[in-house]
Amino acid sequence: MAKRIVIDPVTRIEGHLRVEVEIRDGHIIDAYSSGTMVRGIEKILKGRDPRDAWAFTERVCGVCTTVHALASVRSVEDALGIVVPPNAEMIRNLMFCTQYMHDHVVHFYHLHALDWVDVVSALKADPAETSRIAMSISHWPKSSTGYFSDLQKRLTRFVESGQLGIFQNGYWGHKAYKLPPEVNLLAVAHYLEALEWQKEIVKVHTILGGKNPHPNYLVGGVPCAINIDEENALNSERLAKIGTLLKEAQTFVEQVYIPDLLAVASFYKNEWGAIGGGLENYLAYGDLPLNGIRDATMFKFPRGIIMNRNLSEVLEVDATSADEIQEFIAHSWYEYPDGNEAGKHPWEGETMFNYTGPEPPYEQLNVEGKYSWLKTPRWKGNPMEVGPLARMLVGFASGKDEFREVVTFALKKLDVPVEALFSTLGRTAARGLETKLIAGWAQEFYDQLLNNIRTGDHRTFNHEKWDPRLWPDEAKGVGLSEAPRGALAHWIRIKDSLIDNYQMVVPSTWNASPRDPKGQRSAYEASLLGTPVDDPEKPLEILRTIHSFDPCIACAVH
Amino acid sequence: MDKIKRIYVWEIPVRFYHWLNMFCIIVLVITGYFIGSPPAIQHGAEAYFNYWFGINRFIHFLFAYIFFFNFLLRIYWAFAGNEFSRWNNFLPLKKSQWKEVIEVLKVDILQLRTWSFESRGHNALASATYFIMFLAFLLQCLTGFGMYAAMSTSWFPRLFAWFIPLVGGDMAARHIHHILMWVFILFAIVHVYLVYYHDYVERTGEASSMISGWKFVNNKD
Amino acid sequence: MYEEIIEKGYSRRDFLRFCGMMGAFLGLEYSGVGQIVKAMETKTRIPVIWLHFQECTCCSESFIRSSHPIVADILLDKVSLDYTETLMAAAGYQAEENLHNTMEKYKGEYLLMVEGSIPVKNKAYCCIGGRTAYDILKEAVEGAKGIIAWGNCAVSGCVQGASPNPTGATPVHKLVRGKPIINVQGCPPIAEVMAGVVVYLLTFDRFPELDGLGRPKAFFSRRVHDTCYRRPNFDAGLFVETFDDENARKGYCLYKMGCRGPVTYNSCGVIRWNNGTSFPIQSGHPCIGCSEANFWDNGPFYKHLASFPGFGIETTADDIGLAVGAVTVAGIAAHAIATNIRKRKMIREGIIHPEEDND
Ligand code: HEM
Ligand code: HEM
Ligand code: NFV
Ligand code: SF4
Ligand code: SF4
Ligand code: F3S
Ligand SMILES: [Mg+2]
Repeated sequence: MAKRIVIDPVTRIEGHLRVEVEIRDGHIIDAYSSGTMVRGIEKILKGRDPRDAWAFTERVCGVCTTVHALASVRSVEDALGIVVPPNAEMIRNLMFCTQYMHDHVVHFYHLHALDWVDVVSALKADPAETSRIAMSISHWPKSSTGYFSDLQKRLTRFVESGQLGIFQNGYWGHKAYKLPPEVNLLAVAHYLEALEWQKEIVKVHTILGGKNPHPNYLVGGVPCAINIDEENALNSERLAKIGTLLKEAQTFVEQVYIPDLLAVASFYKNEWGAIGGGLENYLAYGDLPLNGIRDATMFKFPRGIIMNRNLSEVLEVDATSADEIQEFIAHSWYEYPDGNEAGKHPWEGETMFNYTGPEPPYEQLNVEGKYSWLKTPRWKGNPMEVGPLARMLVGFASGKDEFREVVTFALKKLDVPVEALFSTLGRTAARGLETKLIAGWAQEFYDQLLNNIRTGDHRTFNHEKWDPRLWPDEAKGVGLSEAPRGALAHWIRIKDSLIDNYQMVVPSTWNASPRDPKGQRSAYEASLLGTPVDDPEKPLEILRTIHSFDPCIACAVH
Repeated sequence: MDKIKRIYVWEIPVRFYHWLNMFCIIVLVITGYFIGSPPAIQHGAEAYFNYWFGINRFIHFLFAYIFFFNFLLRIYWAFAGNEFSRWNNFLPLKKSQWKEVIEVLKVDILQLRTWSFESRGHNALASATYFIMFLAFLLQCLTGFGMYAAMSTSWFPRLFAWFIPLVGGDMAARHIHHILMWVFILFAIVHVYLVYYHDYVERTGEASSMISGWKFVNNKD
Repeated sequence: MYEEIIEKGYSRRDFLRFCGMMGAFLGLEYSGVGQIVKAMETKTRIPVIWLHFQECTCCSESFIRSSHPIVADILLDKVSLDYTETLMAAAGYQAEENLHNTMEKYKGEYLLMVEGSIPVKNKAYCCIGGRTAYDILKEAVEGAKGIIAWGNCAVSGCVQGASPNPTGATPVHKLVRGKPIINVQGCPPIAEVMAGVVVYLLTFDRFPELDGLGRPKAFFSRRVHDTCYRRPNFDAGLFVETFDDENARKGYCLYKMGCRGPVTYNSCGVIRWNNGTSFPIQSGHPCIGCSEANFWDNGPFYKHLASFPGFGIETTADDIGLAVGAVTVAGIAAHAIATNIRKRKMIREGIIHPEEDND
């Protein structure tokens, strides 16, 4: 007999995610992923000034806090044919890189790590041995025995206070935890260090966008003016501060994040390099333009699609084509005027609530019917995985050297075959590897910005189409981006200078959606199939795979 | 016997109020308009050379005080003054007043009649309009001083601070305040026209009455 | 615990014996007993329940950005954050268990923090663990010592509460009676302001002074405009006329770009963001008023005043005022002409006699 277990709330994610799985003989035989909160931001955007949309959509999510703003201004610029000046492009790229470094590091240490790291076991560690391990994998200075033993004492005091706070009731002692106490101690130390570090890197946003979370954007460019001879603008002091922050971030990524990632992975690689692969299709819109958003060949993250794990072919994606990207609602709490089975391209998209789920409080969802607030996006009818793994694979398959380098470096280091990429661990590793790339690219963008200023180009904003009186009566556009969690796009229709329709298809919508009318599972559900669950009362394994996607359900539903 | 009788309708406080009020409103509209839509009069300057916007606002606030206390004076006089300035003129509570409103409308809009109907003070329609204006003045003071409370250390504006949350915050107050400016402008245009119009069709010396205090009406005695 | 035992008339020796027994019971060495004594004597960290409803989780994100005190110190030394979906190790059943244990064990003592609004159009619009946000809030409020509503969502409904508010997003203070609520505004609130409120509670052991809207006076009593470093430019009438113009590059006042600083209460100009690094205006963008109720419906953001519903985004009160003014003047002109024509006619027809005017 199959046993249904429910995890709700799934914690250490953003948003309200519920997972129901069927377990038989210690393995998952079916899975259902449900988003249980809705806000209707697409509805709220109707009738508003397109130039304001970025601020609304940015509030879709405070974790990937900048990417919706970026996709939004791009959609408006696409609709109106606005080209942003090179400085604005570089500044946006820098904000993008900052977002990734922050988001990925926080995900690894604060959201994902406790799936692999047993905090309580760290109490038993030998600090001297931890120090030895730390020094063997990295040059990071905070690696002395004294440092780790102080930390261990603090941790002991904390545990003995009897108030475990956020660590209360974790699956401590679970059989699936494989790290020796010493590595656990190392990870806990870096959990705290990362917590301190992450508040620094976001200052790049603060300087360029005025605040973080939720920095400011601007249709047509960026709001921060450059003037190297003025104290009220982006000047040499502000630029130097950005430079320092980016350098420090790169150091942290290379000396803490990557070594920790590889160290933890080395203990789990055999098992978790083979679990959680899920879908075999990957989609990336690409991002980080070097020559304007319209020239996808010059993106740092290339655009493309991989089907059936076939790394020898990268297919093209056209987000404007009516029959490529479509959203379905067969299992979502919405309705379409043209029926439950229909798919809609986002330019024609609709968001009409239709809650048909059980009356709360409820024990189980009716998974035969509608069971989630996420719509179900499909590319030419296919479910696609998006995210770091998709980006790394598309980059790798596109033959880009940088991608080949980091991927082979990691595979070699862990001594695993390419197939190991298609797994829970592969996903988590891909996230780290792209952070490494990004930390390097940020330096390039920074240099390019300085170079541009040096040659006398101070422009950060294109004023030509600011005035709505210069807009056509009707226009439509799409803003494509790569959010930390994957391919993100906003579709806008403008009519009489107001938003006529606004639709977002978000990375976590792709990954966490319920099944489509044909019954095909999306990435979360597919990747859980076959996963072993040792103790259904403590479903640690489920969290591992779900967390490897870095769920963001506020994003996914919006 | 004279066909025309001279009567004293507007006592000095009423006249004083009227002209000072008009002056305040003109100043407040001009300075207020600049607060709402400051013109670009300078580029490349440094802030310490200049304070024109501050001065503009200062004048606005100064005249705001004068406007307010002048208004208080008029309210006082509505209880202390002669029959024409009394508070009960302004409220169309009596049936006769409503009849008069219809009559005035016939004169003003339909132009059915062109003779006076012997309203010695304000005619009933005018009174009702003035009453609405007085309420608008009050609202302008509430929103104005309410907003001002946040930027003042004086106790007086703070008496109005409670009003802002009531309308939904400073932004809403500002909006109301700004819209009322247009209400005053439109009122003034129509008002001045009607004063001359009634003067023209009724020949009671309406226009000059707010200066001299006297009106000329038919002597029925 | 220690106090309780002493209060009941037991001596410290009794207490130590009790601890020894507990130690034996738990199978601890003698050295371990010392630690139990210490743990029971030291004051418990204040238990905190942090609920998540209709939110973007940015308030949590902001909170972890705090630099004084840093958030690790708050979590390890100052409070016991027993429930927060964002950071807690436990999930599902174990997470709910934490919630209930804290509510029972620390009834009347725990601090309830709420992030996000609560949908009321259909309460199923936000469910956690199969229960509605509304139910969870009601239950958690019962035993709470006090409530902190984090951010514009919990204080005013924020973005999901913007017109037409499809889910009926409702702030905490509209659903809760009889408990003190601190409304910490902002979208999100500044990290150091959030930490500042917590530190206030812990250090001074009382609720901060609040303004009429329940916001702590320490952080929300001044308008952004009153502490804005660009204010001298405002007073001098020096304004940015369009983004990235000469004036923008000189850092003039952003008033004409729609800055909501003059109508927004927040400490951005003083505390600034992310440990004093900058704030929106300093980085060239006008304040959008993110700490004011309904700021989403006071748009468009780049206009000084909100637009009129039904008139299009470019229409301001001034345009409408001018149009009505023009119509009025035209009407008056027509009226004046009609009056003259009529009076002439009456004179011609002998109804009135012009010479009477001179009597
Ligand atoms: C006839 C009467 C008045 C008129 C026509 C008038 C007009 C205006 C206008 C058009 C604005 C600009 C609003 C905007 O677009 O932002 C303004 C602002 C203001 N007014 Fe008035 N106003 C009047 C009376 C008052 C009074 C009695 C006060 C009381 C103190 C007052 C205080 C203010 C304040 C505080 C501001 C905001 C100034 C700032 O923040 O810079 N006003 N007024
Ligand atoms: C901003 C411009 C003006 C405003 C706001 C204004 C306002 C008012 C108000 C509130 C009253 C009622 C007075 C009371 O009972 O205390 C009034 C009456 C009057 N005003 Fe004005 N006034 C303005 C300009 C003028 C001008 C320019 C004239 C003359 C040429 C004028 C002539 C009169 C007369 C004759 C009355 C008495 C009319 C009657 O009772 O129907 N006003 N005005
Ligand atoms: N899914 C998602 Fe986001 C990301 N990354 C947005 O586009 O997290 Ni909130
Ligand atoms: S108040 Fe703003 S920042 Fe905070 S959760 Fe709500 S939308 Fe996000
Ligand atoms: S930039 Fe905004 S807050 Fe600052 S002085 Fe100008 S209007 Fe005021
Ligand atoms: S937009 Fe918000 S962050 Fe401060 S400057 Fe304005 S209140
Ligand atoms: Mg959508």
